[in-house]
Order: sequence, then C-alpha cells, then structure tokens
Amino acid sequence: MKDVAVVGVGCVGFRPVTPELSYKELMFEAAMRAYEDAGVNPRKDIDAFITCAEDYWEGFSIFDEFVPDQLGAVLKHLFTVSADGLFGLITAYMLIKTGHFDIVAVEAHSKASDILTYEGIVNFAFDPIFNRPLGGHPYYVAGMEMNRYLCETGTTLEQCAMVAVKNKRNALANPHACYGANITVKDVLCSECQFYPLKKLEISPLSDGCIVTVLASEDVATKLTDKPVWIRGVGWCTETPCLETRDWGRAVYTELAAEMAYKTAGIKNPVKEIDFAEVCDMFAYKELQHLEALKLCRRGEAGNLVEEGVTQRDGELPVNPSGGMLGMGYALEASGLQRVLEAVLQLRGEAGKRQLPEVETGVVQTWRGIPTATGAVVVLSK
Amino acid sequence: MSREISTCPLRLRHYPGHLEPEYAYTLGIAGERFFREIKENARIMGAKCKKCGKIYVPPKLYCEECFEKLEEWVDVGTKGTVYTFTISFLDEHGEKLEKPEIYALIKFKGTYGGIVHRLGEVKPENVRIGMKVQAVFKPLTERKGTINDIAYFKPIME
Repeated sequence: MKDVAVVGVGCVGFRPVTPELSYKELMFEAAMRAYEDAGVNPRKDIDAFITCAEDYWEGFSIFDEFVPDQLGAVLKHLFTVSADGLFGLITAYMLIKTGHFDIVAVEAHSKASDILTYEGIVNFAFDPIFNRPLGGHPYYVAGMEMNRYLCETGTTLEQCAMVAVKNKRNALANPHACYGANITVKDVLCSECQFYPLKKLEISPLSDGCIVTVLASEDVATKLTDKPVWIRGVGWCTETPCLETRDWGRAVYTELAAEMAYKTAGIKNPVKEIDFAEVCDMFAYKELQHLEALKLCRRGEAGNLVEEGVTQRDGELPVNPSGGMLGMGYALEASGLQRVLEAVLQLRGEAGKRQLPEVETGVVQTWRGIPTATGAVVVLSK
Repeated sequence: MSREISTCPLRLRHYPGHLEPEYAYTLGIAGERFFREIKENARIMGAKCKKCGKIYVPPKLYCEECFEKLEEWVDVGTKGTVYTFTISFLDEHGEKLEKPEIYALIKFKGTYGGIVHRLGEVKPENVRIGMKVQAVFKPLTERKGTINDIAYFKPIME
C-alpha cells in the first residue's frame, strides 16, 4: 500500500484577534500559502478537501456549506470533519490510502475572537441532564482533573508551572506564536488561582488563525517535493463522554490512540524512536499527563522530565518547541494542526531559530478539550 | 510577566449575531427513574450490570463495558467520598465570583461512576480528596426532578 506524506503547509496567525480578516479570508490566506508551498493548483490538482469545524464555534448552522469558495474547492469533493484538525489529517490519510485520491487538502481554523460567549458554548457541550444544570465555569473540570492527576502521580505544582514557563519561552522564537513570554515559575504560581490548583498562566488563552495542509500519495509526493514528511502512524480514541465514569488521573484516550499510532508506525520503543513531541498543553498539567500517555516516560515521571530540563528545546526529548498552546493560544479545531505545522517545519529543517538538531521522527498529539475525553496521535518522519 | 492583550471583538468592526437554541432534553428511562427517586424519596439510585456486576451511578440503560441492558436498580445511599475537587473562582461568564464555588466528583462505595456536584458547609481550604460527604437535599416542596434537587454535598464525620 502507498505511503502518505505532508507536502505542503500554510499558516496564518496565531493572534489574539484578527481585525482585518473575516474567517473566510483567513482560510483563503492559509490555503494560498499551503498550495504555494506544495506547488499545487487547487482547481486542477487537489482531489478532495476536508475542513474541520464545529457549528457552535463558527456561529453557523451547517458550517460546511460556507467552505468551498475560500479553499478553491467549488464543484470539488469536500466534506467536514466535526473535530480537531488532526482528525481531518487522519481522514485525509485514509482517503489517500484507499488508492482513489492522490492529493487531499485539510483545513482547520479558529476565529475564536468572534465568539462573545465562549464559556456558554463550552457549557453547552456538557451532559444536559446530569452536569449542565450545575452551571459554573466549564473549566472547573480541568481543576478537578489536575487535582486528581497530582494526587495520583505526586507531580508538584512547581513542575506544572515549569511547563508554562518552558512553552511561553519557546513561543518567543516562533513567529506564529502570540503568547510568548519570559516568565518564572514564581510568576506562574503567583498568577491568579482560577480553578484550584490551576493558575491563570497555566491556561491557554484563545487565539485566531488558520492552517491548511496538503497531503499526497507516495509517488505524487516525491514528484512534488524533495522534503516530504511521511505520516507513519495514526490513532484516535474516545474514552467516554461521562464525567462520572472516566479516568481522572490518566489520559486513557491518548494511551489508546498512541498504542494504535505506534502499532501502525511499527514503533516498539517510543522513548528511543521519537525525537520530539508536540502535544496538547491546553492546561499546563495536560502536557505532563499526555507525555505519560504517549509512553515517552513512565507514569508520574513527566514532572521530573520538565524539572530536569529533558523537555527543553535543547533537552533529550524536546516537547512543544513551538511554544505549544500556552504559547500559540488555544485555536479551537486548529490546535492539532498547530502541532503538525511545527513537526513538519522541524522535520524539513525549516524551523528557524528554534530548529532542533538531527530530528528524524516526531509525535503529534491532540485532545478535544473540556469536557471531552477524546484524542488523536500521529507519528511523522522525514 | 506576560502581556495582557485585548481580545474584545466588540472594539473591532463587526456585525452582531445571536443564536438562541432551546431544547427539551428527554430524561430517558434511566434518567427519569433516577430523578424521580431523588425528587420523591431523596434516594440516589444506581443500575447494576448483571454480566460484569458494575453498579452505574448515575444509572444508565446499558453497560459501557459489556453493552448489556441494565435492569437491576440499587439504592447506593447518600454518603460518598470526594474523589477529586476544585475551587472555582470564576463564574459561568468568566467573571470573578464573590464567593468561590467548590465542585467535586463524589463516589459511592461499591459503585462505578459517581455524581459531580457542589460542596457546601465547608471552607475551601478544608476540602480534601478522600473526604466523606453526604448529599443535602432541598426540601420536598422545592424539588423539581433535577440534579439541583441535591443542594450540595456536605462533609460528615465517619
């Protein structure tokens, strides 16, 4: 069966607001850049288009109807994946694997700044009978999860704060990141406690932006570029929608997604075979929990890794060299493609000041945020 | 320190929009029994899977593990343990609360799942994981058949 590669990426953002562009124009800009990067003409070369969007984020019913024109997909084969962009990328991978498609484009974006009632929309994702009537800010779920994770693993508040320090510092070297900062552990720990034990600076602020990626089958990819980035393994999983029955200490959805991705990629020892990771750090502790779920360390050890500097850009296992979501912002369904963008740039050797030396294989992970227990994992190689 | 960046779209050129979806969510068979017991009898019920023996709280019509239909109902009592908790300093609009709210997942002995609810009659600094708590029900006349018929859970000595 043919392999699949990422042959083009285009990005606009990420920024807290995008006053000059509508969501359509944001998508158009990112698409133009991706097609230019891949050297393809969407009107002639691209066989199918996937957009990743959720109606409530957009403020539209049936948002997918509003997509083709700005992607060059009018009268072409387009559909929506109502999930994070990484699920769209996995879907495109599968389309190409069928042998019926050679080039597929995947789009995900965030115009979060258009949303005036973000908390209300997140609340609307809660079970309407058992949970929603309690009311309250939906991020109380993150505070509860962090508390249980710390209790089960012995991870410290300082170790969680170090994730925010590292990622915001990494973001300073990433032109696509808007929340870069040089802060200390003390700054994080002294920032406002919003959902005990979660602090304000450990929560990813929202951001606007768009990423388009172009995927191609093996023979087409090698003709289009001399730097294809191969998709070696994919996995995804939903644990359970129920707050009551899920595992609050472990990211089981990522454990199972990683198992699937490593199996398809033929990876037996992730610690040895993975050179860097881009993972969901929507809340600082999530980076640690996700690293453990990805089997990049043993359970309860991720806090030590960040403390010892292993996950720094110059450490043995760099994690979120992009700055992660703490640095780039929580870009709704574009969050997973933020991780893919960084992995592609790193593997091509195009990450500029933050380029990691000698990287061959990276793992990318995403989580669908509060209140979900859904994640996806993709392994990418040079 | 990190910069504060304005994210207020109302200060930009924009067109206002408003969605007002309204629904009547059906409780279903398991939900109706659960809330009827809370409302009429101040009892918390679970549903037991005859295949794996798990008792689901809140009850479901089916087992997540076995995909079996659950038909046996069990009274799980009103006392439980704080499995995890948080103190929320922000309200549902992201504004600072005058009095922080404590949210917890309460687990009941011998059961699978639990109830997510508020804690009351306790200072935030005194809440611990593993703490024993008991449901405080609203008076019968104020109960409407919702999760808020339980006013909160309060700590108990045991």
